[in-house]
Amino acid sequence: MVTRNENAVTFSVQDEDHTLANPVRFMLNKNPHVSFTGYSITHPAEKILNLRVQTTGEITSTEAFRQALNSVIDVCQHVKSPVCSLFSNTAMAAMKVVELFCHC
Amino acid sequence: MGERAPPKRIPQVNVRKISPDFCEFVLSDTDPSVANALRRVMLSEVPTLAIDLVEIEVNTTVLNDEFIAHRLGLIPLVSQRVGEFTGAYDTNDDEENALMDIVFTMDVKCTGDDTLDVTSNDLQLDHNFQDIHPVAYHPSGMPMDPEAERGVLLVKLRKGQHLKLKAIARKGIGKDHAKWQPVATVTFQYMPDIRINQALMDTLSEEQKLEWVRSSPNPVFRVNPVTAQVEVLDAEAYRYDGEVIAKAKAFGKEGLVSITPRQDMFIFRVEGTGAMPTQQIVLSAIEVLLRKLDTLQQSLASEAAPMAVDNL
Repeated sequence: MVTRNENAVTFSVQDEDHTLANPVRFMLNKNPHVSFTGYSITHPAEKILNLRVQTTGEITSTEAFRQALNSVIDVCQHVKSPVCSLFSNTAMAAMKVVELFCHC
Repeated sequence: MGERAPPKRIPQVNVRKISPDFCEFVLSDTDPSVANALRRVMLSEVPTLAIDLVEIEVNTTVLNDEFIAHRLGLIPLVSQRVGEFTGAYDTNDDEENALMDIVFTMDVKCTGDDTLDVTSNDLQLDHNFQDIHPVAYHPSGMPMDPEAERGVLLVKLRKGQHLKLKAIARKGIGKDHAKWQPVATVTFQYMPDIRINQALMDTLSEEQKLEWVRSSPNPVFRVNPVTAQVEVLDAEAYRYDGEVIAKAKAFGKEGLVSITPRQDMFIFRVEGTGAMPTQQIVLSAIEVLLRKLDTLQQSLASEAAPMAVDNL
């Protein structure tokens, strides 16, 4: 983390890329206490991500980041449950098809 | 920026088609960034099994060692059990019993006068993992249905040529090498929101309406035979070519139709390689995404804690 004050922070994240950064940035933007947010990947060869979060002061940048992460996790959980149940009904039938396909 | 946070939406998933090789589902009430994250994870971070290390004992074929090793790596292996394995770079405390390697062997020599095809069917499976085999595996000795898969062709042998090797398969992700990619392709399409201005449409003659409907390369619109109105036949067939818009402009009727991609409804099409059933690919992708988010959350908590103490 590179910090000047707790409401304007640039988080430097290792080993992550657009896959996580874009949804988190999106959720951060939806937060009314966030005045500015963006991310950049300075070079594609280096797996380093800079995420900038500036807040209005009601919450710290770290808190905003944490909330955004929770939002994305919530969305994933919500996608997971119908996928799990929908697919498990057809999973048993599908598994049998896979076995027939591979073991003849 | 408004004072109130927008109400939280709960994502919906509707499965349209499902088979072990192909799955089509509609994800709605979420953002393009999340849909894209899911697509990216399905492509590059869902772990599968593939041949990673090849020890060649004899190779008198026309292809050199690394060429054959490369081809072996690209063979899709049935990877439903990949969760039980540890990847080469996974941190694991109990190193001793970590399941890692699946060892295949191959020993083919051409003795006859005809060209002999060496395929993935010639791989001998690991005794400990009889259910981990190349996709569509028909080992020799079993009755061969001529219409069934002949296996992935690796190399062709002439009389006297011999190939003997040991191939070790490991768990990995698409990001490291495309051989570990579980999908042939995964796409998502924005659902189009098509609105026809019927008032403007009525100013067109019958032939003009037909001409306009036909200007679309895909069957999106049709003229209703009963009411003679132009209506949407299949919104999803629209491929965001601007043909109908251009045609309307040519008629001098701009604004005849307005087509915008909906930012909250996506049609996913997942085409698997046979390594895993598509349900498993999608579920794995969501789990991998959740795991990455958890890791980030934990590291944020540990990073931020000392800072919080300072600010007291």
